[in-house]
Order: sequence, then C-alpha cells, then structure tokens
Amino acid sequence: MASAWCWSCLSRLRPTPRAILPPPAVTPRITSAPFHSTAVQYANPTKKKSSLVATKYRQGQVLKRKKKAKTERARPPAVGERKALRKRIVLSNPNALEVEGMKDLSPETMVDSRLRGSVVGLPVPMLERLRAVQAFKPKQGWSIFRRPGTVLRRDTIEMGRLFEKISGDGDAPEKGKVIKKIITGMKGSGKTVHLLQAMTMGFLKNWVVITVPDARDLVSGDTAYSPVEGSKPTQYVQPNAVSALLTRTVEANRQVLSTLKVSQKHPGLSGLKPTSTLEDLAKLGFQDAAIAWTVFQALWTELNATAAAPGMENNFEARPPMLVAVDGLAHWMTETAYRDADFKPVHAHDLIFVQHFLSLLKSGQSLKNGGMLLYATSTSNNPSNYSLEVGLNQLAARQAGIAPTSEEYPQPEAYSNPNARVLDLFKPATGKESALELQTLGGLARDETRGFLEYFAHSGLLRESVNEEWVGEKWTLSGGGIIGELEKLGRHVRTAAQPVAQPVAAAN
Amino acid sequence: MARPTYGIVQAMQSLRLYSPSSYRLAAPALRRQARGYATETGNTTGDVQSSSDLPPTDLPSTEPPATELSSTQPPSAAPPLAEAPPSEIPPAVKAAPEINFDRFNAQPARIVPASPSYFSGSPRFIDNVLKLESLQAKYASLPTVGAGEAPRMAWFKLAQFRDYVGEPVPMKKYKSLLKILQRLNRIQPEMVPGEVRSELNNFLRPGNPYAAQNVPRTVDENGRARAKGKRKESTAVVQLVEGEGEIMVNGKSLVEMFQRVHDRESALWALRSTQRMDKYNAWITVKGGGVTGQAEAITLAIARALLLHEPGLKPVLRKAGVITVDARRVERKKPGHVKARKMPTWVKR
Repeated sequence: MASAWCWSCLSRLRPTPRAILPPPAVTPRITSAPFHSTAVQYANPTKKKSSLVATKYRQGQVLKRKKKAKTERARPPAVGERKALRKRIVLSNPNALEVEGMKDLSPETMVDSRLRGSVVGLPVPMLERLRAVQAFKPKQGWSIFRRPGTVLRRDTIEMGRLFEKISGDGDAPEKGKVIKKIITGMKGSGKTVHLLQAMTMGFLKNWVVITVPDARDLVSGDTAYSPVEGSKPTQYVQPNAVSALLTRTVEANRQVLSTLKVSQKHPGLSGLKPTSTLEDLAKLGFQDAAIAWTVFQALWTELNATAAAPGMENNFEARPPMLVAVDGLAHWMTETAYRDADFKPVHAHDLIFVQHFLSLLKSGQSLKNGGMLLYATSTSNNPSNYSLEVGLNQLAARQAGIAPTSEEYPQPEAYSNPNARVLDLFKPATGKESALELQTLGGLARDETRGFLEYFAHSGLLRESVNEEWVGEKWTLSGGGIIGELEKLGRHVRTAAQPVAQPVAAAN
Repeated sequence: MARPTYGIVQAMQSLRLYSPSSYRLAAPALRRQARGYATETGNTTGDVQSSSDLPPTDLPSTEPPATELSSTQPPSAAPPLAEAPPSEIPPAVKAAPEINFDRFNAQPARIVPASPSYFSGSPRFIDNVLKLESLQAKYASLPTVGAGEAPRMAWFKLAQFRDYVGEPVPMKKYKSLLKILQRLNRIQPEMVPGEVRSELNNFLRPGNPYAAQNVPRTVDENGRARAKGKRKESTAVVQLVEGEGEIMVNGKSLVEMFQRVHDRESALWALRSTQRMDKYNAWITVKGGGVTGQAEAITLAIARALLLHEPGLKPVLRKAGVITVDARRVERKKPGHVKARKMPTWVKR
C-alpha cells in the first residue's frame, strides 16, 4: 500500500498549530471563596427568540424574516475581457532567475549536436514575429521563466539539419526539396512546440512562414463562408479567415516579402503596380476581405514562381523556401459546422482554404522553391476520426516497410464506412520524390531530461539537487520523458518537510 | 458408527425368505444358521422342489407330516425322529450330486435386493460405512501415526459426497464416516494394506489438491519475476525484469494510464522507496476497479515481484508499507440504512 498522504505536497507533515492555552474549564472555580468545594451552577442561558413568533392568542404563526441586505456587486468584466485573459500569452516572468550561459537558437546552434539536451532561448527579436504567427499557445508554461526557451532534442537537431539542407548552404543535393511531414505523438509530447521551433528556424533562415495555428477555427463555423460560383461540387471560401491568414503572414514575414517584387501578371487585381512588392500585394487582401482569396492565390503563385512572367524579368529575385505549419489536423478530416443550401453538413475538404493546404500534401513538388510542410495532430482538442486513424496507420506501415499489397497492411474494417477522400490523402505517392512522412514524437532521452530539469533548477523553480537517480525517477514518472509531464513535475513547488514537534514526556 | 449396524441387522432379519421345505426337516437348532438373505437361502433349498406347497406357518412345528417323507433329503439335515429304519438302505443308491451354489434351482418367492440396506433409505451410504467399519475392525491392530503426521488427504466435501453416493446424507452422518476414514488414514504409511488404500482413494476429491506441492516462485529463465496484487476491486499482474525504468501498463504508457501524478507515484512506490526506479522494467496488466485501486494493486504486485529479485529488500518494503495487503472491500449496504451504516434522518412525525 502506498503512503496515505500526498507524497509531493506532504500535507500531513505540516505541523498543526499547537494549542498554547489550556482549554477553558467548563465550570470555573470560584476565586473569592477558596474553601468551597461545590461547583457553581449558573442559571440557564436565556433562549433566543425564534423566527417563528406567536403574535397573539389564537392567531396563526407568522414567519418573519429579515430581508437580506443587497450588496453592491462589482461590475462584470467587459465584453471580451475574460476571453482576452484566457488567451493571454505571457512570455516572461521577472521573478524567475535568469539562466546564465543560455544560448540563443541561431543557424549555428540549431544544428550543433553538442548542445543536444540543453535549453536554448528563442531570439528576442524573433518573439514578435512568432507571436504574429500565433506560435505560442496559452498554458504552455512560458510565464514561469525569465524568457522563452526550448529544449534542443534529437528531433529538433534533425529538423535543423533539414532546414540547412533545403536552404542549400553550399550546393547540397537536397536544395529546393520539399519535406512533407505529419507530426503525431502522445499528449504533452511537444508537437506544438516542435512547430514553434520549426517556425523559429524558418525565420532564422529567412524562409516565408505560413501558419494555420488552429485548424479548428476554419471548421467550427465561426467565420463567414460563401460558395464559390461555378464550382462543382460546390466549394466554399472563407474570406475573413483568408484575410487573417494574410495579416499573419505579412506581420511575420515583412522582412522577406518587402524585398520581393511582383513577377507575374494578375489580371484580377487592378490595384497592383508592376513595381509593388509582395507585401503590398498581400495588403490588398486584408484591406478588402472580398478579394482576399484572389490575393492569396496571387501571393501563392508569386512565392512559388521559379521564373518571372515574360516582360517582368526586371526585378525578379529567387523566391525563398516556404514553411507551412498547421496544428490540429484532425479537424480538417471531418464534417464541419457549416451547412450547404440543402442544410447538409459541409465536409472540410469542400472548404477551398482547407483544400488548398491539404492538396500540398498530395502532389509531388507542391512547393516549387522547396520548403517544409509540417502538419501536426493534436490530442487535447481532437475529434475522433476513424478514417484519419486508418490513414495514419497505413502511413506508419509504409514507413516500416510493409508493402501496400501485403496482408499486414492496415485496412479499414468492413462496414466501418471510412471517408474515401481522407484515405485518398494518405495513398502512397506515385513519384519518387517527397513522399509523405509520419513523425511520431516520443519522450526525451535521459540526458535531455536532465538538461531540461536543470533548466528548471537554474531558473530557481526547482530546489533539489538534480542527480542521475532523481532524473531517472522523474523520467519514469513522466512516462518515459514526455516533456509536458516533465514540466508538470519540474514546476511543482514542494515545501520542505518540517519535522513535527514530538510532545515531550512530562518529567516527574 | 457402530450404531446404524444394529438397525441393519434388524432389517436383514426381516428380509428372510420364507422358503418352506428344508426348515421343516431341519432340527430347530440348525434353522437359525440357515437364516440369511434370499439369495443365499435359495441355495439351501437346493433339491427340495417336491415339497413346496406348505405354508410357512408350520415352520416352528417339529413334527413333519408323514406325506413329507422322501428319499432325497439334504445331507445336512438330521434324520427324522420317527419311522426311519437306518438299516434298509438299498445298495444301488448313489450319493446326491454336489450342490451348485452359483445358480438357483428355484425361483425365489419374490425379488430380493442385493444390498441388505436397500430398504434403509440410504443404502449406498450404509454399505460404504459397513465396508469401512469392517476394514477398520480388520486392521485395528496395525500401528498408527499421530493425526498430524498422517498424509494430508482431500476428502469429499459434503456436497461432493452426496453427489458421489446419490443420496441425501446428513452432515452429522458424513462426519462420522469421515472419522472412520481418518482413522484408516492414520495407519502407518508403510503398512497400509492395498485394500485400505484403494478404498480410501474412493473418497478423495478428484485432482487431489494437496498432492501438488507449493513451489516457491522464482525469477524465470528469462529473468522475469511475475507477481499479482489486489486492492479494492482491482487485480494487477506484474512482470518485472531488470532494465532502465520503462513501465508499460495494459499496453499503454504510465502517463496515459494514470493522469494524476499521485497515482503514478503510488503505483511505483515500491521501486521508489528502494531506489530501484531505474533498475527495472515492468510490464503490467491490471483490470477491474477504479484508478486508485488499480494504482495500488500495481504497488502490491511490484513489491512482490521485487522481492523475487531481491529478497533482502523485505524489511525496507515492509517499512514502506507496500507488502501489507489491504484486504478492505466496500462494505455492503444494509436494509434500513441509507448506505452501509448511515441511517435515514430522523423525522418527528
């Protein structure tokens, strides 16, 4: 049997306040007549009048109660204030100690395997841009440290190397390649932070970063939608969501976009001059939501252009690689909260915005200038989706070397009626290049765990000596180094056990 | 056990067949010896077919009528007292053939059951008792050992014995039968006669439970220690191997299984309190009950498995309180109570 008291908070060990005064005697001794031995008997205390008062003889009893005085309540918070508080992201805490010798994430450190297991800070000038793409989520615990930092785990360094190769420092063969990954993992295994690290690396390498911070926003029915004319089957566009995406993209990538000039002809956009930059192009979209989708398509063509249109070669510059990060993929595999004209639910694949990003996973070289597609699943806000489950299993099986024709290849169960469009997304790629990959994030290794917990100790949160044994224990308790669980264990402030004062035996 | 036999003797006497002939010719002193079961008396009546029609009422009469005289008298019967000249035996007379006791010459007057205790209500039980009693009497002189040293035998439970004999045997009578069995079992093991042994074996439960020796568990050849633990309604089975602190519960990770840190800690308390957390891997199956029960069932199972690896840890584990079984279960609700003990609120009217 385990200990009955909470081992971590040690609440039983807290000393109860000892009674200093002896309990008052029930019958006080009479001081004035010390020779009396009999106890004093006091008269009975007078009874309180009950609320039921018999008013008069032969009259009914009347219930009389005092009315409660109305207390002035504070005004309720203004509209949106509660939500703002809930969604607030605090990235620093002046009470936390500053960790000495902490390095920043930089093009050099992100591939340095010697730094594996240490916590590197996110570069401070990058924070505003990361905020703009909503890379941080509330409740990720950034607010307990002096400045945001992330662990360089094995997956991070591997990703850093990919960034380096695709950016093509030197003439690497992988230059301009497209990496397509679906990131899964247990709850708290760091999928969203992995995306955050990818975004930071993208900014560091001067890529164009386009993010969908929460896939649910597009399917929950919160933004406006309208059918696209002439599309069959009917597709729907979400102008405000596209406008918001353009805003995010411009805010975060202003440095890159402002240097690139328009190189293609866009007949649908009249306000565009041949000399205007891509930033100007994108700005058209969030000034007028009605043309946001057209603007986004134009921007996408510009970013994927490998050469200028004839007659516009003057100021063409090579486009940088792109990072597309989507969080909460499962929401895009179900039916949405939107309805069509027949009041039937609209499937997420019929939303043109969603379809655009999902189609990137399918075709071969979907990003012409290379880049990375990182689509993460979520476990905390996750619709159960059988088709996606089967698709991911098939993907994992292919990665393990099981041929799609073999018997062991996972198939949907009979009569389970999986969605064909979803399964189609995970079909094996025909071309050799850039097949879809599945990356499952597990726990940290022991040395990485140690580095992570030492960071807590350096920040003044943890007041225990971080040794091998203690780290091993926490590693096991966190289910094999699941980083979210490690954070819970690390930030858990524990009071030192106070020895309970033993009552001293009375001396004779 | 000797008591019922008295009744049986009575019953046996009342079962006597009234076969008329030989008794009439026999001397009164011999008649008693000829008494017996119908099957046996049939043999004695062997050759006297001609003298059959007389009623049994003249059995006690010592003087037979004159017409009953015949030359074929049974050899055992004494010669009649009157008018039998012994000297006039013809020389051609041969001796009667030997009596064949295996088959009846005559059909008995009515069907008589084989068991003497047939009409006693529980004949098979009584037959068993009689047989055991006779064995006990036969081998009473053999040396015995003390009750504690006799081999442990799993006798039938009462219900099983009732099934075995197919009769509603009362508890008290079965207990007296058990006493005989135990007495026979106490005969010194080297000297037990074969018939006693085979008879005793008839009363053993199938698959003698005490035959299997309780083998102390050890770590198996693959280095796994397997142990079980229970708490509340949960049962946990742990396979503990040397490793580096990887835990798998029902195929899931510890975190997925137990969201609360407290439960995780209490499940692994045996390893933690001995500082063996990073020395062993555990593969756990747990079922039944709730989260807390499952966690604490795992605690107990891990502690037991750990003891197989390192028996020297017992005092430490005892002090940590992980090898003490908490046998408490939910107390049942009683009639008249709201819960197990709670009484309904008292209302004046």
